[in-house]
Amino acid sequence: MDAVVETRAIHKHFGAIRAVDGVDMAVRPGEIYGLLGPNGSGKTTLIRLLVGLLRPTEGSATVLGRAVPDKSLLAEVGYMTQASALYEDLTVRENVGFFAEMCGGVPRARVDEVIALVDLGERANSVVRTLSGGLRQRASLACALVHRPRLLLLDEPTVGVDPQLRATFWAYFRGLANDGVTLIVSSHVMDEAERCDRLGFMRQGRLLAEGSERELRDRAGTATLEQAFIRFAEKGLGPEAPDSQSLGDFGSPGTGGAQ
Amino acid sequence: MSAKRIFAIARRVMRQIRHDRRTVALMIFAPMLMLTLGAILFRSDTAVIPLGIVNEDEGLAVPMSGRLVIGERIAEELAAQGTFAIKELSRDQIDASLRGGTVDAVLVLPADFSAQFAQTRQAVLDLRLEGSNPSLSAGIAARVTQAAMKALVGLGSLTGASTGGESKLPVTVNATYLYAGAEFDTMDYVAPVYIGVLVMFFVFLLTCVSFLRERSQGTMERLMATPASHAEIVLGYMAGLGLFALIQSTVILTFTIWVLKIHYLGSLALLFLVVIMLALTGVSLGILASAFARNEFQVVQFIPLVIIPQALLGGTFWAVEDLPVYLRLLAYAMPLTYANRALRDVMLKGWGLGDIWPNLLILAAIVAALTFLGARTMRREVA
Repeated sequence: MDAVVETRAIHKHFGAIRAVDGVDMAVRPGEIYGLLGPNGSGKTTLIRLLVGLLRPTEGSATVLGRAVPDKSLLAEVGYMTQASALYEDLTVRENVGFFAEMCGGVPRARVDEVIALVDLGERANSVVRTLSGGLRQRASLACALVHRPRLLLLDEPTVGVDPQLRATFWAYFRGLANDGVTLIVSSHVMDEAERCDRLGFMRQGRLLAEGSERELRDRAGTATLEQAFIRFAEKGLGPEAPDSQSLGDFGSPGTGGAQ
Repeated sequence: MSAKRIFAIARRVMRQIRHDRRTVALMIFAPMLMLTLGAILFRSDTAVIPLGIVNEDEGLAVPMSGRLVIGERIAEELAAQGTFAIKELSRDQIDASLRGGTVDAVLVLPADFSAQFAQTRQAVLDLRLEGSNPSLSAGIAARVTQAAMKALVGLGSLTGASTGGESKLPVTVNATYLYAGAEFDTMDYVAPVYIGVLVMFFVFLLTCVSFLRERSQGTMERLMATPASHAEIVLGYMAGLGLFALIQSTVILTFTIWVLKIHYLGSLALLFLVVIMLALTGVSLGILASAFARNEFQVVQFIPLVIIPQALLGGTFWAVEDLPVYLRLLAYAMPLTYANRALRDVMLKGWGLGDIWPNLLILAAIVAALTFLGARTMRREVA
């Protein structure tokens, strides 16, 4: 099977900062790929490269078989930013409807369908400004889903979301994957990893390792994923690498940690 | 009440302002800039007014001193005043010269001018005025009357008539107008451009703040992740805010015409066309400016930098032609200058599209350039 997303030694530098520093990754169709790493490890930059919001400094990436950036791809890609990006003075339905129109060819009924899917039916006519953080996240997800994308790029979708809603979100994600949608979900919370089919460990702009949770633990020879991460960090980034400070950026589940 | 806490708050407020260097700079330099502009504008000498004279006066035979041509004396007196630059014209050049702007008014002295004066002891001055600037028209009429009075002093005895003892002034001005007319006042002169300034100002602010919000609330990034192109986004803003400006200007215009009873000559459709182009200028200027503002406060700071200089220099109150040359160059770089000219030409002169198109073309070019630059600032941020 051809990869849905493939990067080849992709780099993105901002001046002297190497936000993404040579990543080779491959994401298979219909899987949930978890991008795991602490804040500032380059997850958001990598996702923005895949969406085509940034041009790579070096290397390249193909998404759905086409080289990015490519505007025409975006009708088939759903993107959810880290902080909910919604028009504060519009209602939920107006927001979702607007993004549907931006993608084109979305039937009107789909807007209400997707609002119902994220359980916002009762608040469809509420102005976003009046919504709590969790409800906003749901509305953001609805905006990313409305045009039935084949690939979903979700940047820390569960930050600041209560445990119950997190479980609901992951249930949606699994349902979408079962329907053949490919998902890339970034997180800095280790316990979300077990819900992904495969994982990529990111640290300091590099992909340390790639594989299923079990594979990664077996290869590292550790009992937990967190220990595996530390082991890969030690191996991959030389003697000075595993400073406890950057690992300390990992949040415990549910605490959130917006950048 | 704790003085300590009050001082702590005061210190914190000052620290915050000090961190925003641009605000500090603006608080100091913007007022100086405004005052300098004001000083230049208020102190600048009134420009010399170009006045045409059609002198056909054949004069009058006077015993002992030959011929007396009163028209010539008036022309000499007008030239001696220093406020006018005199241009000799023939009768068939009058309206063409006024229309072309080479003269602001023409004084016509007919062949029997001296003879008439000798007979009636009344000088009736036929003054043809360009008319679109009522205060200028009034000024010209007053100065011409003054000069004529001076020229006529002591002529009573020469013509065998006595002006003494008469209560009626010996000089009357019979004014006719190329455009507008006697019923137009200063408000009629200022109103068309007021509408323009207001529309551009509000659309500019609206765009600037909306775009800033798009950037700060992350929706711009989100919009870029859809198939929508930069051009579509900019054109969408222009269409939406342009339509809004159309509604706004319809209300303003209706109010000015029916409630404030403003006189106007030209077509209202053409007026709306100019106003829409100004609205588009406001949108493109707003998009461009929003790239240089981090918050709403900094948007407000653009008003003294972007809007007020245009309102002062763009011909709203002072004619662009009367500005010192360096300010005139600045004024010619401002979109409002061309819009103002077009608005006045339509409302006060009743000009049509065939007359005002050069101004609209320049305005369109400015909008295109600003839109291009604005779209570039969007590209700079993403991809």
